[in-house]
This record gives sequence, C-alpha cells and structure tokens, in this order.
Amino acid sequence: MANRRIFDGKPVLEFSTGIQRRSFLKYAGLVGVGAGFAVGGGLLTAPAAGAATRTLIDTSDVDILNYALTLEYLESDFYAKGLQAGLLSDRDLELVTPIGDHEKQHVTAVTGAVTAFGGTPVAKPKITYPAGTFDSRDKFLSNASMFEELGVTAYHGQVPLIKDGDVLASAASIAGVESRHAAVIASLINGDPFPNPIEKNASMADILAAVKPLIS
Amino acid sequence: MSRQEFVRGQQAFVSAPQALGALNNRWALAAPGDFASDVDVLNYALTLEYLEAAFYQQGNAAGLLDGVEKDYLTSIQADEEYHVKALSDTISKLGGTPVAAPGVDFGGAFADRNTYLTTSATFENVGVGAYLGAAGYIKDKAILQAAAGIFGVEARHAAVVANLLNLPAEGGVYKGAFETPISKADVLAAVTPFLSQMSGGMPAGAPETGGGSTAGSDNNTGLFVAGGAALLGAAAYAGHRVSTREASDGIGS
Repeated sequence: MANRRIFDGKPVLEFSTGIQRRSFLKYAGLVGVGAGFAVGGGLLTAPAAGAATRTLIDTSDVDILNYALTLEYLESDFYAKGLQAGLLSDRDLELVTPIGDHEKQHVTAVTGAVTAFGGTPVAKPKITYPAGTFDSRDKFLSNASMFEELGVTAYHGQVPLIKDGDVLASAASIAGVESRHAAVIASLINGDPFPNPIEKNASMADILAAVKPLIS
Repeated sequence: MSRQEFVRGQQAFVSAPQALGALNNRWALAAPGDFASDVDVLNYALTLEYLEAAFYQQGNAAGLLDGVEKDYLTSIQADEEYHVKALSDTISKLGGTPVAAPGVDFGGAFADRNTYLTTSATFENVGVGAYLGAAGYIKDKAILQAAAGIFGVEARHAAVVANLLNLPAEGGVYKGAFETPISKADVLAAVTPFLSQMSGGMPAGAPETGGGSTAGSDNNTGLFVAGGAALLGAAAYAGHRVSTREASDGIGS
C-alpha cells in the first residue's frame, strides 16, 4: 500500500472547514507516525515509534463511522464522475455501474448510522481530481482498484476498534462488498483479485501513506 | 420502511430508529446458543474451510479449466488451504481441539467447467454469509479481525467466480450493497449434501494425506454434531498445501 499512490499523490480532497479536516485526520489515524504532535487541540497523543497502533484516545464508534462516511463519499463521487465520463462499455460498464450504486447506498446507510448513534454526520468533502483522471478506461479502473483496496484495508483496520456490535455488523457487511468490488476491478485490469489469503488491515502507517496525499 | 428497503437503499433518508433496527437485525439471525465460545465459531468456520479446500483440490485436479480461470481457481484453493491451517492453529492456540476434516462427496460438481464454477460460486457465497452470521459471537477482537479478513477473501472469491460464469452483475457477482448473514441452520442445510459419513469420502484429488487433525470424541463443538449427523472421524486428508503462501502461526496473533 505504501508504495501505491492514488492519483499519483495529488491532492483531491478539500474540506470546507479546518475542523472537518482535522476530524478526518483524526479518524484516519493520521497521527504521530514518528514524532509526537497533537491534532485538534491536543485530543490525540502520538504513539511512540514502534508502539502499538491502537493508541487513538477516545475514538468513538461515531468517529469511526464518520471516517467511513468520508471514504464512502469519496468513492461515491469517484464512480459518479467516472461513469459520467462514458469510458466503459459492455461487461465493464455492467460490472462497474452497480459499484457506483453501492457506494451511494453506503453513504446513505453510514449517514443514518451516525445519526442513530447521536452523532453528526460529516459533510461531503470538496473533491477535485487531477486532470486526466477520467481520460481513459485504464486510468479510471486502476484508480478504482487502488480505491477499493484502500477501502477494504481501512474497514478491516477498524474492526478491533469498533465497540458496538451493531456498528460492527454494519461495517462488516459493507466491507465484504468492498472486497467484491476490489476483486472484480482487479480482474478487469489484469491485476490480482486475490492478493492475500486474509484481507490486510490498514495499520496507521498504511493509512497515513495512502490517504495523506488525498488531503489538501 | 422495511429492513429490506433500508438494505437496498431505496430510501433517501434513514431515521435513527430505522438505521438501528436494520443493523440489529444483522446480528439477530444466529440463534442464541449457536456458539458458546470463540473456539466454537472457529471450528464451525474450520469445517466450512475444510469443505472448500477439498472441493478445490478435487475440482482443480479434474483439469476442467484453462488460462486465467485455472490461475484464479488455483489461487482460491491456496487461500482455502491457508484458511484451514490458520484456523486449526488458532484453535489449538486457544486450547481447543480443531475438528477433523469431514468426509466429502461433491457428486456431479466436477462434470464440467460450468458445474464446477457454479458450485464454487454457491460455496463461496455460503461462506460469506456464514462468516457474517457467526461474527457476532466472536469475543476476542483479534480473532474477529482475522475472521473478518477471511470473510472478505471469500467475498472476493464469490465475485470473481460469478464473473467467470458471466452471471449478471447485480444478484450474481454482487449481492447488493450489503452482505447478508446466513444463519448456522441455513448454512448447515446448504452444505449437508456435500458431506459423507464414510472415510471413503476422502477426496480422490487430495494431493497429500496425513496432515489432518484427529477427531476427538469429546469434540462436539463443530458443525457436524451440532447438525445432528455423526460425521466426525476418518478423513484425515487435510492437505495443507500452503506452500505458495507463507503459513501463519494462526490468525489473531
């Protein structure tokens, strides 16, 4: 993951407020790899180098859901734009169209879950893509592949952190679908649909490496 | 709004109680008492993985596939064998006794490419639902994470095999925007036809023998006793061919 960079590492996410950006950074676990620093008024304490990755302080299920929501917003927007560009046809189109639908449904479901747990759903981030992102089938699908693999590992990384069984069930039922997406898209671009016998977890360092470039 | 509608995302707005209700239903499928411990869940999973591993050992040995299809199914076989080993090791680590490999009989599943892949897709989707249905019983978070990791890979298998069959995208390759759990009773009903009670059920295509665990008479935590059939015993085929992937010392470690 660390050596794969979505959109060649160019920023695509813009948050409407600094608070939202800080929130996302917090949810994404973008905290203190290496040196210690505080985010959002000292809510977070950086782990010592080499320490266990589960050192976020008071990461609630709502925080995790909002983290998932941001990723789902990003995916949903990505597929909407990619499909709109009309790059796909035949079986490609048949296989990718439902993925866009799924991501939309994930946004709706996760938004509902945040509200159900008494939280405030994060707003959709402002997303801009580097020129050329939707210029060709191959670019669209290779970025999609990285997105899906990122999503899979992000969900699996949160499994041990989620406290509520219902949130966990919901997250798992979404994660499985992301796995299907990842495998199908890999097969469309002659990638490996089964890169690991057990899905990888996105460690804090993995997420940092993969997601940080997306945030402007 | 029904749960179905929620799951299908047909409502633009989901109220808090609706969302919670839908989520709660996901866990409600497994009957109370289906699993008493993490080891119980893992042995249930192990039985399914044994079944899947044997299925691909036989199916791939039948030489029905070529090209990328052959590559994919070879990889899937290696995944299932890895799962068998990982689950067995984890159960032992937890102080439990891994269930023995069941005797299997896949009937006409290997008549041709189409029957092989169709049966494969069915198996994989049952596996996906089984993991999701049992996940709520797992108490140890590290084990849960590993089980979720296996669940995701089964979902990959299901989607890719369905695509090889050129099944419709929605309803074939994908099963909606959310995976659906399957209760233990329904999983049992689905796989029972493939189980044989005789050691003669040992797969002809199994590449190795002797790697399996032995059946313990006190081991009543697995799928078979719970399912009402006396299927423990024999079948020590368990070819742990994980040579293409690095074996682990067990999941959750």
